Amino acid sequence: MEKLLTTILGVVGSVGISAILFIGANMIFDLAPRHWKWFSALVGFLTTSTVFLILWANDLLLSPGTVTLIAITIGTVGGFALGMTSNRWLRFAYGAGAGMALGALAGSFSQNVFGILEDGTPVVWPARPDLQFGPLLGWTIGGALVGLAIWVLNSRQKPAYRSALFWGTVGWIVGAYMVPSLSSGTQSDAILAGTVLGFGIGALPGSKPLASALERNRVKEESRKYIFLAPAFLFIAVTLIIPTIRTLVLSLRDRRGDGFVGVENYKAIFANSNTFDLSDWRLFFTSRLFWIGAIIVLIGFVIARVRGKEIGTRIQGSPPSYATWFVGGLLLSAAALSVLRGTLFNNLWWVITVTLVATAMGLGIAVLADRAKYESAAKSIIFLPMAISFVGAGIIWRFMFQARQPTAAVPHGGQTGLLNALWVGLGELSASTWPKLIALTLVGAIAIGLTVLATKAFKDRAMGLAWSSTVALVPVVWFFYSLIVGIGGWANGRGEIILFIQNSPFNNLWLMLVLIWTQVGFTMIIFSAAIKAVPAELLEAAEVDGATESQSFWQITIPQIVPTIGVVVTTLIVLVMKVFDIVKVMTNGNFDTQVIANEMWQRAFTELNFGLGSALAVVLFIAVLPVIVLNVRRMQKAV
Amino acid sequence: MTQLSVPAAGPRGPHLGQRVYRWLASIPTWILWGLVIVWSVPTFGLFVNSFRARDAQIASGWWTGGGWTLDNYAQVLTPGGGSKGLSDALLNSLAISLPATVIPIAIAAFAAYAFAWIPFKGREWSFVGVVALMAIPAQMSLIPLLQLYSGGGHWTVPFLNKTITVFPDLSLAGQISSVWITHTGFALPFAIFLIHNYISQLPKDVFESARIDGADHFTIFWRLVVPLSVPVLAAFAIFQFLWTWNDYLIALTMIGANPANIPATVRIASLAGEFGVQEHVLTAGAFVTTVLPLVVFFSLQRYFVRGILAGSVKG
Repeated sequence: MEKLLTTILGVVGSVGISAILFIGANMIFDLAPRHWKWFSALVGFLTTSTVFLILWANDLLLSPGTVTLIAITIGTVGGFALGMTSNRWLRFAYGAGAGMALGALAGSFSQNVFGILEDGTPVVWPARPDLQFGPLLGWTIGGALVGLAIWVLNSRQKPAYRSALFWGTVGWIVGAYMVPSLSSGTQSDAILAGTVLGFGIGALPGSKPLASALERNRVKEESRKYIFLAPAFLFIAVTLIIPTIRTLVLSLRDRRGDGFVGVENYKAIFANSNTFDLSDWRLFFTSRLFWIGAIIVLIGFVIARVRGKEIGTRIQGSPPSYATWFVGGLLLSAAALSVLRGTLFNNLWWVITVTLVATAMGLGIAVLADRAKYESAAKSIIFLPMAISFVGAGIIWRFMFQARQPTAAVPHGGQTGLLNALWVGLGELSASTWPKLIALTLVGAIAIGLTVLATKAFKDRAMGLAWSSTVALVPVVWFFYSLIVGIGGWANGRGEIILFIQNSPFNNLWLMLVLIWTQVGFTMIIFSAAIKAVPAELLEAAEVDGATESQSFWQITIPQIVPTIGVVVTTLIVLVMKVFDIVKVMTNGNFDTQVIANEMWQRAFTELNFGLGSALAVVLFIAVLPVIVLNVRRMQKAV
Repeated sequence: MTQLSVPAAGPRGPHLGQRVYRWLASIPTWILWGLVIVWSVPTFGLFVNSFRARDAQIASGWWTGGGWTLDNYAQVLTPGGGSKGLSDALLNSLAISLPATVIPIAIAAFAAYAFAWIPFKGREWSFVGVVALMAIPAQMSLIPLLQLYSGGGHWTVPFLNKTITVFPDLSLAGQISSVWITHTGFALPFAIFLIHNYISQLPKDVFESARIDGADHFTIFWRLVVPLSVPVLAAFAIFQFLWTWNDYLIALTMIGANPANIPATVRIASLAGEFGVQEHVLTAGAFVTTVLPLVVFFSLQRYFVRGILAGSVKG
């Protein structure tokens, strides 16, 4: 109950404070046109309180409470006076006077405070500049001259002395506070530095004539864009821009972020065989996956060659060859990336597999669902995993992948994970007699049906159908053969259950399946919208011209949705590159399933090696950078 | 089997070829529904198992049924709940995702309005710059942000070796506010982009006549833009709510060390870490955390899909 109350209070409070700040800022500037002096007083109040609160928070003031209170009063009164006086000399006196008073106040109460660091060593906090008149005068006069030069360059618009005053003040800040040591000055030095600074700042509004009605309205109008943009820029700067720069810097430093180490952290990433391991590359050419993949790709070329002969070109791509190339390419990439190990290659494997499979499946389902009965129901169910967190998805699939030591006495060897139960069931089937015969008959019938269909279609010159059924025949025949020789786990003690999560390197594919499961809904929804947006006239025209459905799909729909495919692929690449939750929850990077994001998290937040963690973050950033550039260019065109 | 490609109706009802063709033509639909079933089986299995007692879950798969009980849910939802409880974590999730949804919407709407309708110098390139930030990985910010929350912000002035405290140490690390501040910042580029796309398409005449009538930007924003852009604001709200509710990385980094404030995702993940011990509660826990997103998703699906579409299919 108490928890509930604090939660509600926290939510309402945070939202309320934000609203008050925003509306308050707008209301302050609403004061400008009609109540200039109050507006001016408020500006004085806010400026002085900001400055003195910063001084206070940095332990730069002696008896900070009283000093800040006095300062805020001076600032407010000064602002009010400036807002109601139109006499030139009086204005100057008010502005410069208030500024000097504030500067002198800060200077005389500035104090070298002894702070204490976390490890107990005392530090001298700098507050009083040890003024040296050479650089002081040099910087100030130099600043004023720069101001004059700028005034000339600006075609002499403002009064010259204001430009000189402004840049002279900047010069004074450099000469008084940045050149000398800030901890060894006297009180009079501090008062002098503060007073002159206050004079410079106060004289700026003091030397301006009282704002006219037009200018007051302009202040209000101009303020809007700052008020509207400031919160966004503040948050973006604090959470994105500054941290990004800092991470770049940290990646060149040691584990605690103190000493500069150059590119050592990056070297460490590539020198570590856990992140980058090429040693087994020879196995690539001997792996079964490579040969199967290569043969499938070759079959694709054969099909393309045959079709090319028909129409008189060398090679003609068509859906069957695209499909075989796609499958073969996936197998080849799996073959390559199951021997090139390490975090970086693993991430690459994720990107290739998840992006390709999720895109292809999403497109396929969108096409299947288009104009199907109960289309929206089917799409909702496939889309549903999108609403589940990656953590939830990981847990859901952990139950699917569960493996238990098989026992012969219970059905399915006592498996509680669905996939292993199916696998063991398959083993039982292939070890049985009658059920096995029935299954063989069924699979055989499908194979015969496909063969008949293929020959028929070849005769009818329906080449798409013909090649598709030929290609579909391959896995069916393979399954038929496997059933005869035996497939599946825990059949007659020969097979084994599958340790989906532990068996490297293909456990990675099972983790990828989880991400694919969640992302297919996303790609499907986007492709579905794109397919529906293909102009109906185009499809009708194709139909009139006698194109088959598959022809109009490959030659009209696909070219029309190419930009969408680009969007989906780039979005997925960025998402997959950053994959973290699934790996963290399911294996935490064990069993050779590490990815960059999880490696970065472990180095940075478990081992507290900020240097290496930052370097890994930068690697991740560089990996997604080309995709970002593509995206931004696309958006520029869109806007 | 006769003519396949040109099925012709014979005198005695549909030709065999025609029937075969029809059957073949329905295969895609069967594949679709097969996929639908495959896609829903994992979630369905978890759902079934969440109603089964611990022993039943260990002894047999969910498809065999048996051992029905509501204990898992009772344990998960008991207030306090101890090591198995999730109710505190669910409240924390709400405390994170509500401000992390409302605040970015407001801030992004202001900025999007300024980018769309207030002319100023450098508007185009600053907008592109903000949008470009969309794809900076969260990992680039995590270490410095955690340092900021746990130790304040310090800036060592270049060439001077003087360190200034720019942001005080408010001990935000481990506090819920640190998470929604982070979420707010990370969400802004996408939010600004999405809302800007919508607001900038509003008819120009409306703004011009309002300006002529003397309305200033603040009035136009509240009276015109906000009511007109409810669809896009709702789309983003749903997207962002699901995103923050389901987030794991940022919550784990910022408040993972403070068990009192962790949200449901972190809680569930840590339950999963003790696999085998709390396995039976895990099912109910995972399902309870999923319920709210699913309700949001099904009741406001159109807005959600619109939000995703608008974010991705532009160009």
